[in-house]
Amino acid sequence: MSALARRGRLVRLPQYGALALYMVFLAFPLLWMLSTSLKSTSELVSVTPSLLPSSPKWSNYSTVLREQGLAHSAWNSLRVSLASTVLVIVVGLPAAYALARFRSRLRSAALGWILVSQVFPLILVVIPLFLILKQVHLFNTLPGLVAVYLVWSLPFALWMLQGYVAAVPVDLEEAAAIDGAGRLRTLSNVVLPLLLPGVVATAMFTFISAWNEFFFALVLIQSPERSTLSLTLARFLGAEGQVQLGPLAAGSLLATVPSLVFFAFLQRRLTSGLLAGAVKG
Amino acid sequence: MRTRRFAAAAALAVTAATLAACGSSDSGSTGGTITLKFQSLAFQQPTVAASKKIVADWNAAHPKIQVQYIQGSWDSVHDQLVTQFQGGSAPDIIHDESADIAGFAKQGFLADLAPQISGEVKSSIPDGVWQTVSADGKIYGGPTLLQSYVVFVNTDLLKQAGVTMPTGSTLSWDSFQAMAKSLTTPKHYGVGWGLKSPTASVLSMGLNFDGKFFYTEGDKTTVKVDAAEQEVPRRIHDMIYTDKSIDPTSVSQSGGDVLPGFYAGKYAMTVQGSYAAQQIVADAKPSFHWAVLPILAGTSAHQAADPQTLSVSAQSKHVAEAGQFVNYFLAADNLAAVAQGDWLIPTSAAAQSAVAKQTGGKDGWTATLATGSQLTEAPFQQVADYPKWKDQIATPALQQYFANKIDLATLSSKLSDGWTQVGG
Amino acid sequence: MSSLAEVVDPAPASAPPSRRARGRRGARPARGGREAWLLVLPALLPILLFSVIPLLRGLTLAFTDSRAGFHVPTHFVGVHNFSRLLDNTLFWSSFKIGLIWAFSVTALQFALGLGLALLLNQPLRLRWLARTLSLVPWAMPPVIVAIMWRIMLDPTVGPISTTLQRLGLTDSPTNWLGDFATALPAVIVVGVWAGMPQTTITLLAGLQSVPDSLHEAAALDGAGAWQRFRYVTWPALRPVVAAITSLDFIWNFNSFGLVYVLTAGGPGGKTMLPMLFAYNEAFRYGEFGYAAAMGDVMVVLIVALLLFYLRSRLRAAA
Repeated sequence: MSALARRGRLVRLPQYGALALYMVFLAFPLLWMLSTSLKSTSELVSVTPSLLPSSPKWSNYSTVLREQGLAHSAWNSLRVSLASTVLVIVVGLPAAYALARFRSRLRSAALGWILVSQVFPLILVVIPLFLILKQVHLFNTLPGLVAVYLVWSLPFALWMLQGYVAAVPVDLEEAAAIDGAGRLRTLSNVVLPLLLPGVVATAMFTFISAWNEFFFALVLIQSPERSTLSLTLARFLGAEGQVQLGPLAAGSLLATVPSLVFFAFLQRRLTSGLLAGAVKG
Repeated sequence: MRTRRFAAAAALAVTAATLAACGSSDSGSTGGTITLKFQSLAFQQPTVAASKKIVADWNAAHPKIQVQYIQGSWDSVHDQLVTQFQGGSAPDIIHDESADIAGFAKQGFLADLAPQISGEVKSSIPDGVWQTVSADGKIYGGPTLLQSYVVFVNTDLLKQAGVTMPTGSTLSWDSFQAMAKSLTTPKHYGVGWGLKSPTASVLSMGLNFDGKFFYTEGDKTTVKVDAAEQEVPRRIHDMIYTDKSIDPTSVSQSGGDVLPGFYAGKYAMTVQGSYAAQQIVADAKPSFHWAVLPILAGTSAHQAADPQTLSVSAQSKHVAEAGQFVNYFLAADNLAAVAQGDWLIPTSAAAQSAVAKQTGGKDGWTATLATGSQLTEAPFQQVADYPKWKDQIATPALQQYFANKIDLATLSSKLSDGWTQVGG
Repeated sequence: MSSLAEVVDPAPASAPPSRRARGRRGARPARGGREAWLLVLPALLPILLFSVIPLLRGLTLAFTDSRAGFHVPTHFVGVHNFSRLLDNTLFWSSFKIGLIWAFSVTALQFALGLGLALLLNQPLRLRWLARTLSLVPWAMPPVIVAIMWRIMLDPTVGPISTTLQRLGLTDSPTNWLGDFATALPAVIVVGVWAGMPQTTITLLAGLQSVPDSLHEAAALDGAGAWQRFRYVTWPALRPVVAAITSLDFIWNFNSFGLVYVLTAGGPGGKTMLPMLFAYNEAFRYGEFGYAAAMGDVMVVLIVALLLFYLRSRLRAAA
């Protein structure tokens, strides 16, 4: 047994203890919300709450989906997130390739813009965006929101993608070229498959940021039928906190499901170099 | 490779289709039928149902003018309206309250409803209430529902403490404070009062002592906080810190959040907007006995009339038709239905008697309706910069005062100096 | 990235030496300049239209009296908004709160994230479960995180208050989000909770890039856990730490949704982050020009704080 492993045994118990504490901190609120989503109103106003609901009220879920238009908002969020993700990849991948492969002033400018755009408080952009979108008749429309998400997801997506492209050795392309393959075929047969994991990861992150996004939606979407999920849930909270907590918790949990699914899927990949872009960037 | 190209093409096709689906037609009329958007802020279930029924009845009677019910929220209505008016996407019929809507009226965003208000509706609502929604001879909102602040009491705890239920049409502040003290025991407080958003209640009940806060001379408006204005904040402060009859934790909570403690017997009384009765009826256990006390009074029992309003956007393409719907909403039976859902007082006398008849006065309705006659116009409603002063100056200052971080003199100066800072 | 490299690298022994000698990754010289432009063009257009132009417009909006209203004309007012801002004690108070918030959340995020990353790097059982759970806050939209914590922190019916009372640790429940003294700390805790995954995962990736052989070698030389961390792990981690903490700081300072739903800036402005304050100015009171001035001031000060970071990253990237 290695020297490391032998030493390691002694510290295992406190390590498990620390890990358990972390897990409670991270997971308990979610558990509590799950419990809240299954309670009836009279149970929710009790001053001696318990983790387990006395009798699970599954109808909270159907209430929130049916009556409060949450299903429609979820559908809006889904369309907007999918559209922005597809566009980000389609538009971003060639650009990322150019950034990674071609050393030029454009590259420095682009990287500079990527970093700078992270710094700017959105309040500066949102007012002119609001005016611009109004002029092109995209204000209060989902395509307008998609355009905004596209542009504001690009920096991080480009940063990640160009990191993946850079990790593919140029030799490969040159080897294929020498073997007589045309440029396009080189790219699609040789480079693209290698980029696939990175593209998938970038797509997932872009999807989740669009799904979770709130500020732009708050300002740029004004009709409830075009509301995204976060927007609808935030507006749920109503006047003076008078709100049906059970259905609200149910709706909140439902809103988390897509991201949780992605993350569970991504969990192993995440630590095996997904953030190469951030680390090497 | 072909599969990959195909996949890419498919993805693009899906995107295109999705985006096409996104762009829904927004035109307000198709082939002669006009569609109006009505954004309602009703959130209590019976009120939502009543409002939707009114819309359904209208739609059945007016096939050419269809109204679409859209759900909004009180918390965000102001920001939403700012953006919607600016972006030209405001609903045709807007539900708000008079204090909030005054600023938009001054900016020219609201249409004049005078032509569409029928004589019947006009005469059944008192002039004082019409004053709160008019300016420059124009009516910019139809006043629908009034709210008053009332005291709910747990009658079981009352009996336990041996305190008699007050009779009479009003309850003086001194008696109220005395009651609170006798109802404070080691087991429970006398009062739980959710003052997280204190400005509206303090300013409204300030009228109990004739405290106007806003004084207008000609063009200029100033804020003065003298003895009259200081009465209500001072008494509340005394109750929290001298009498110790108000639960200090409740003071930083919102009104609705205080109700669970009320049901659990943590405090014997709670001051709420009259609409809280709806929640009490729905959420408290049947074994919970409660009543509404007579309205609080100082030198008078006046409170600010801050009616909910239905206005029409000046940018709407069908102002006249939208105005007709507002007029319809103000009919006695319709107002009565919505009022009952919310435990609010309808503005028109006819609707008030309808409510009295339909509810038989139980569940605190008699006391609630009686407060209706005490509601009168308050100066703060006509002031355009009131929302900003409320958010940035009054609410933080009052919160600090009730948290005992500043004294009364500092509160007064913050309120009056803050007005000049806000640009009033 | 190591898996990718294994797939990609042709079997070293068989490749002709000359080609391998030339082997390099990354950039090519600029001969493909025009090709680069073509590839970048589809991204460039929307970026110009929806990012660069609005940014420039936003910066200049601060010099006008743009406000909400029906056909209200906009005039150039020079630095009037900025001089108004100098006297606006509420803005500077919110700026101070923003700095406190950003520093606290970033520092705590880093400390707790590093701890968790170190734990997740150990061969403990049920590691997959721990890793998935540690991603939970990231999966939740900030609005929902806020809703959830509001439920948790409710003084009357929330589990934290009632548990403290049941344990007898306190007899009058604290309104964590409503009490002047506890509001900002409570909000900071929620901010840390929400931001931990990103930091944890990035640090974990950094930790895993340190080869086991280095750890083994150090252990054989007699280094204890702490020494191994200090001399093997930490130097490898340093660039990652710089990157992620700077990014975290910017993201945290510009945070909006979480606090908007948690407290809306209250009580009494104790949790009013600068973005919230500017948002209210623009969309509650309709003062677009004034809000833009606030944005400009925020940018200048943040950029000043992070100039070091930007310069070093640009140099490394170019």
